[in-house]
Amino acid sequence: MFDKLLANLHFLAAMLLFIIGFYTMLTDSNLIKKVIGLNIMDTGIFLFFISLGYSGGPAGGEANPLPSALMYGGLAAAVSLTAFGLAMIVRLYKYYGTIDADEIMSKRGEAE
Amino acid sequence: MSHLPVLILVVYFAAALLLPLLAKLKNSFPGWGALAVTSLALLLSIASALYVGENGPYSYFPGGHGGPGIEITVDWVTVLMHLTINLVGLLILVYSLGDLKSELHPDSLPAYYSIYLVMLAALNGLVMAGDLFNLYIFIEICTIAACALVAIKPGKLCLEAGLKYMFLSTLGSGMILLGIGLVYMVTGELNMGALSEAIPLAFSSYPWNIYVAMSLFIVGFGIKSALFPLHVWLPDAHASAAAPSSAIHSGLIIKVFIIVVARLIFQIFGANLFAAIPAPEVILLLSTIGIFAGSVLAIAQTDIKRMLAYSTIAQISYIFMGFALAVPSGIMGGLLHIVNHGIMKSMLFLAAGAIIYKTGIRKIDELRGIGFRMPLTMSIFSIGALSMVGIPGFSGFISKYYLAFGALEAGKPIYVAVILASSLLNAIYYLPIVVRAFLGHKEGKFVWDQLPWPMATAMVIMAAFNLLFGILPGSLLRLVELAATALLS
Repeated sequence: MFDKLLANLHFLAAMLLFIIGFYTMLTDSNLIKKVIGLNIMDTGIFLFFISLGYSGGPAGGEANPLPSALMYGGLAAAVSLTAFGLAMIVRLYKYYGTIDADEIMSKRGEAE
Repeated sequence: MSHLPVLILVVYFAAALLLPLLAKLKNSFPGWGALAVTSLALLLSIASALYVGENGPYSYFPGGHGGPGIEITVDWVTVLMHLTINLVGLLILVYSLGDLKSELHPDSLPAYYSIYLVMLAALNGLVMAGDLFNLYIFIEICTIAACALVAIKPGKLCLEAGLKYMFLSTLGSGMILLGIGLVYMVTGELNMGALSEAIPLAFSSYPWNIYVAMSLFIVGFGIKSALFPLHVWLPDAHASAAAPSSAIHSGLIIKVFIIVVARLIFQIFGANLFAAIPAPEVILLLSTIGIFAGSVLAIAQTDIKRMLAYSTIAQISYIFMGFALAVPSGIMGGLLHIVNHGIMKSMLFLAAGAIIYKTGIRKIDELRGIGFRMPLTMSIFSIGALSMVGIPGFSGFISKYYLAFGALEAGKPIYVAVILASSLLNAIYYLPIVVRAFLGHKEGKFVWDQLPWPMATAMVIMAAFNLLFGILPGSLLRLVELAATALLS
């Protein structure tokens, strides 16, 4: 059981990263931290994919290049989403003077 | 092998790059350029439909390297969706030529048209991607473009709605990508045709990977297509965006994701695996709640665009219900509702946009007597409203008829009652608007709408299609039947 876990440690790490990122995105009220959560979640997926390509023994061996190549696409998407999200947050900061989702909600409530 | 489907993508992407440059020459070029390109894409999709009609469905391998690997699948589902996307996309674009100047900053117009074309390209790509990774790339393009279409309208409401949409949509994309990884892990394949053979084999040794992947796909696409209770982003995004953006969001984007997940479930996992996790039951339950909750929330709204947005949640649940019934007539009902609701909801959003353009009124209470000031717009709105309720003679009736028929065929007559009861709920919030507009006390003289011609033309053509599919649905039904058969095969 423990050996099996140790041999698949990379999958465990990937899932942990995914869950940490997912949780941060859903629950943190700080918008920048949400974007960071997005990146942690995507990093978990990238680690998962890239570790799928590993096919050699303990000394290294050969690796399947396809998953790594695919993750270039994933990286491009993550970078664009991060840039786009940050740009929107900057604009939102100009309107409200804060990057906290809860504060924005309460300011919006006052205005109405 | 025909290059037509790929040409659609090439034309859209190339034009999206060039349009902002054309704006440097003259400000009105991007709009007309986008119109020309979308018309060309519609012609290409018609030609592609004729080609498939003559030679049957086929696969296209970019670069001509032969399969399996990166593949573009052109079957009847693709044909149906290409025609719908490019037709509705073109009509919304025509409308936006008249309307956008009043809703957007003039400097952002070229960017809007550019994003709009990228959006249409991604939608066209999504319905013909034959391998999971291209699918993922198109999903991400679609996500970014869809958020940008919301956030491009000035004002903090749109920015907030766009950001909320982006975060939730990205969660969805993340889950989908993880699902792709889990499938790839046990099969070593990304091509959908190869996967449909590899998955039953992999299932016998790694059932959990397949179960979890399928659940991740359903939830991920559920967020993107606003399956209740994953719809929280939708009302803000659809209500605050500019009228043409709302129309394309409600009319096309969320539905394309349903098509994609239906294709994944029925074509690569198969209906048996779908029923093994109790997914059909769960989706049927959620869509029933969604139908009622969406309608009840729509009744409570005072803003006309928010009301239409909540109505979309109810209507999208019909489509999910049709697919979850997993019988031919249910799927036909779902596909029909994708086409019919795509046209009628876009039409309603455009009509609401025309009212806001002309009078600035957003509150439903203030629409009293508007039928005397904007008779054309309100007639079109009434056609859409009656079609939503499902009055015979309008296209909404045909799709509800097939959905009810599907519920009977699946041996679940309770859902016929759900469809009937929800039609009454639809009547509660749509008909008072129509009645108030035409029968409310008359203010001043009767005048025609005096809308810019692109807005009026687009709405009239949509109304004509709605009536055409309501009264003479023959050719649409034949196409939808072919698509439903292709989806289940």
